Amino acid sequence: MTYFSYFKAECLVLFRRKQNLVNALLFFTLVIVLFPLGVDPSKAFLAPAAGGIIWCAAALSTVISLESMFKEDYADGSLEQLLVSGLSISWLVLLKVLVHWLGMIIPLLLLTPIFSEMLFLPDGVLGVLMTTLLLGTPGLFLIGSIGASLTVSLRQGALLMLLLILPFYFPIIIFSTSAIQAVASGLPYSGLLAIISAISLLALVMSPLMTPICLRASVR
Amino acid sequence: MQSNLSLTISDLWIERGDRDLCKGFSLTASSGDIIHIIGDNGAGKSSLFKTLFGLVSPVEGAVKLNGEDVLSYREPLLKQSLYISHALGLKSVFTVLENIRWYFPNVSETDIARVLSLLKIEDYLDVPIKALSAGQTRRVALARLWLSDLSIWFLDEPFSALDITSIQLLEGRIREHAEQGGIVFFTSHQPVTLLSPRRVELTA
Repeated sequence: MTYFSYFKAECLVLFRRKQNLVNALLFFTLVIVLFPLGVDPSKAFLAPAAGGIIWCAAALSTVISLESMFKEDYADGSLEQLLVSGLSISWLVLLKVLVHWLGMIIPLLLLTPIFSEMLFLPDGVLGVLMTTLLLGTPGLFLIGSIGASLTVSLRQGALLMLLLILPFYFPIIIFSTSAIQAVASGLPYSGLLAIISAISLLALVMSPLMTPICLRASVR
Repeated sequence: MQSNLSLTISDLWIERGDRDLCKGFSLTASSGDIIHIIGDNGAGKSSLFKTLFGLVSPVEGAVKLNGEDVLSYREPLLKQSLYISHALGLKSVFTVLENIRWYFPNVSETDIARVLSLLKIEDYLDVPIKALSAGQTRRVALARLWLSDLSIWFLDEPFSALDITSIQLLEGRIREHAEQGGIVFFTSHQPVTLLSPRRVELTA
């Protein structure tokens, strides 16, 4: 097994098990569609809240897509094989996160302009919203991989995983929505983007260290 | 394949929860050895393999490969070992060929075709693993033994779900590997006929 064959295999697994990804995107769509219906469909309410609604939907759908990240590998024994393969588990985790992130972020970025129009996102804010999604979602996936690896051996681990990782999602969501509000108010926002990038970079350092430890503990 | 190998396990103590699985277990294996690990259900046969690969931490003991400590630095053991566990490590959404390609991306089509034909699964090349029987799935997993050039094999219940012909084929492959200078550890509750392995019993 090589890193490249693993990357190719992960892409193929994601494609074959696309139902997981479709479910997450469906959830993202449903939250955004139902929110105005359930609260207030007026432009005056939705326009300032649009960025926050899209970000919360993106964060929750990320959790849904991540829940099964290592589950099948654990069940069929391929996780055990990866741990004894002699390849660096940290790199394998990063490759897996990359595949899952790409699979989610591409449709998310394609859907966001449509939903932005639907939620009356103010003019000129879409670019920053897309930038925050690009910079912040890697952090969500990297943090999520730690939660997914911790709960991989549990049969009903989804809720526990949500409880474990959601507090770590708060800073990314807060700074992303703050950046969107800042640009809508004509205030500088580059510092907020820098903080989002810093959180994602911190997650990039922590996840390859912590996820393998959690995976080893789960395979015992 | 490296052929001057020596794996020494000294005074290994493995615990799962509050239960001692094996205490004071010692064993020395060198190139050409076939070692049959026997023991009751739950005696710790699978845990022994997992301990060697770092998936379970022993309470105490030492494992050395060619004199080098393995428990603190596993890289040399991992680079030379092939481990087939109960869970076979095959992806159910992949076809037989895709699973083999996943493990051996650089092996030629001819070699894969030869091995699959030997194991009588050549007609299932494009069939997803989830559509195969238990015996056929195990044969796909065991194809790794013919395609790999790793020296030390750890096989956990390799004969289960196999028919007589496949068992004889596997026994032949194990013997051939040992003759070439490899080391084979396997667990099995079934009697083996073609092999004359060294039997090592695990007791708590």
